[in-house]
Amino acid sequence: MTMLRNRATVHHLLRTAILVGLTALLARLLFSGDMLLYIAPHLMLYARIATAGVTILALCQGYLTVASLRHPAIGCACGRDHDHDHAPPASLGKNVVLYGLFLLPLLFGAVVPNAALAGSLARNKGMNLAGAAVPNGASLETVELEGDADQAIKAMFRTNVYNKDYAKLGMLLYRQDAIEMKDEWFIEKLQAMNLFVDNFQGKRVTLTGFVYRESGLADDQFIVGRMAMTHCIADISPYGIVVEAPDAAGYPNDAWLTVDGTIDRTTFQGREVIRIVADGVISAKAPTIPYVYPDWNFASKL
Amino acid sequence: MSQNAMQTAPRASHAGVFAGLSLLVVSLLYFFASQSPGTALHNAKLLIFKTAFIGILLEALPFILIGVLASALLQVFVSDRMVRRIIPRHPLLGILTAGLLGIVFPICECGMVPAIRGLIRKGMPAYVASTFILVGPILNPIVFWSTWVAFRSRPEMTYARMGLALAVAIAVGLIVYRFVKGGVLRDEGPPRERAHDHSHGHSHSHGHAHGYRQGGVRGKLTEMMSHSVGEFFEMGKFLLFGALLVGLLQAFVPQQQLASLGHGHAGSSLLMMGLGFALSLCSTSDAFVAQSFLATFSKGSLVAFMVFGPMLNLKSLLMMLAVFKTKFVALLAVLSFVFVYAGAWVLETWLLKGG
Repeated sequence: MTMLRNRATVHHLLRTAILVGLTALLARLLFSGDMLLYIAPHLMLYARIATAGVTILALCQGYLTVASLRHPAIGCACGRDHDHDHAPPASLGKNVVLYGLFLLPLLFGAVVPNAALAGSLARNKGMNLAGAAVPNGASLETVELEGDADQAIKAMFRTNVYNKDYAKLGMLLYRQDAIEMKDEWFIEKLQAMNLFVDNFQGKRVTLTGFVYRESGLADDQFIVGRMAMTHCIADISPYGIVVEAPDAAGYPNDAWLTVDGTIDRTTFQGREVIRIVADGVISAKAPTIPYVYPDWNFASKL
Repeated sequence: MSQNAMQTAPRASHAGVFAGLSLLVVSLLYFFASQSPGTALHNAKLLIFKTAFIGILLEALPFILIGVLASALLQVFVSDRMVRRIIPRHPLLGILTAGLLGIVFPICECGMVPAIRGLIRKGMPAYVASTFILVGPILNPIVFWSTWVAFRSRPEMTYARMGLALAVAIAVGLIVYRFVKGGVLRDEGPPRERAHDHSHGHSHSHGHAHGYRQGGVRGKLTEMMSHSVGEFFEMGKFLLFGALLVGLLQAFVPQQQLASLGHGHAGSSLLMMGLGFALSLCSTSDAFVAQSFLATFSKGSLVAFMVFGPMLNLKSLLMMLAVFKTKFVALLAVLSFVFVYAGAWVLETWLLKGG
């Protein structure tokens, strides 16, 4: 009995330690803001719930541990009378693996730095240069905008009913003298411009992102990309624009750049996409949180 | 000892999994031992692995906790009679109800598994549970919305996803109703037939009897705590193992290389289903990933990706194995695989043709 009791205590203590460790890991990520390196901002509420939940579990386990030290079988529902009928105690090795699995995130969290992933992960994912392709054969219609939108512009942004939102955004961008690709609506703007490649020829554009290269690019070309995150790091995918600059070879992969230039077109991997002919390239500071987030509801905010 | 010993003792059938894991740890150690310690920590692959591993954990953790809490509440406060009263007696009606339950309870597969076990223990028939497990993560408003937005210019993709998921789940539910007799849970017989003098089974449900006997709010509370912590560790190990595998996959296998394997419709459907299985994405975010494959893969195979992935993936498979008998999980896996594959073929041939 004493041996069994000691073993139970060890389990209780290990569990307590793991739960306390998890609480510490979550709290640190939450309060340092590094949580945003792993999950999208709209999931922060869930991260808080998780932190609170794990804290409560840790408290529960602490209580159970203390209680079990006093009465070995308390809180153990299926208990006292049939200890001997349970599965034989697991071998030491199996327990080491089991608890090792739980210690792994704690170890990684403590030892390996939290890092923003950009280019290195893009290489594993494959860059998206075009957004939604223009559906052929669908019936096109003009999009109604409030205010006195120019009929000529409307005619240029004829599209089918499902791409209306992009047409709206496209018209907005078209009327700007210079388009600035900020974090907000990065993907949406990219898609709008790719959807109406013809309309944006010769427009001025500014873009900040990391350098990325892929086979099929010319020597004076590279891609400036951003990573888009929907929920968490597992689903991030890179989006980018082909940039053409005479000194392209001088910019290493993963370096952050701000590119000024005019929009042109090119075909890449069989798709008609926009290309930037750069006339000013300066190095930029990598943002702390380097991700952009798709905005499902952007049209209603235009 | 007792409950803890029971929960931490890996069952014989998992021995292989754990042996494999040990091997993995050892080989990782070898891998990093060959580099000087300072650079090893900033190794790009290690960073990707760590970030993916922790990211998946962070994403799934709240839902597991919600599932564990729901299951603990069910266990302690809801009686078997209540559950049986709510679920329609007629099998077909029961299956249909389960199919539409997701619309009311939008819950993803991580929270699903522990909650479902609680419900089965309380007398929910296996066929209803299987239908709900398969369709719940797909046919709900959040997933509908995210798919709709990801495939903005192709609304038929959203309908195809929802329709196929419902059809597959109902078909699997009917087959389970017709052919599966007896208990499906790993650690106990079917709840209705379980005799009360059978006191040596490895079951939590003995707990509540004790709890009541112990009496009082305190007894119930202690029981709930112990139940929640136990279940958290039980589910957690499978989540962690799944996250570990997905992290390795993300770090070492380029998605593009995978994508280049699929040629022709038959191949691409298989490939996308495999990808959905391996990536273990949340059903609310996978539509955006699918969308990025639009240029490379047929639309039928993308629907297959978005239906099969949430129904069965690495993470959820491991969690299901913790709860259900291996045979039952294998049946669910094979059935959903065959039906999704066939369904994608039908969609591709008749409904999703052309641009």
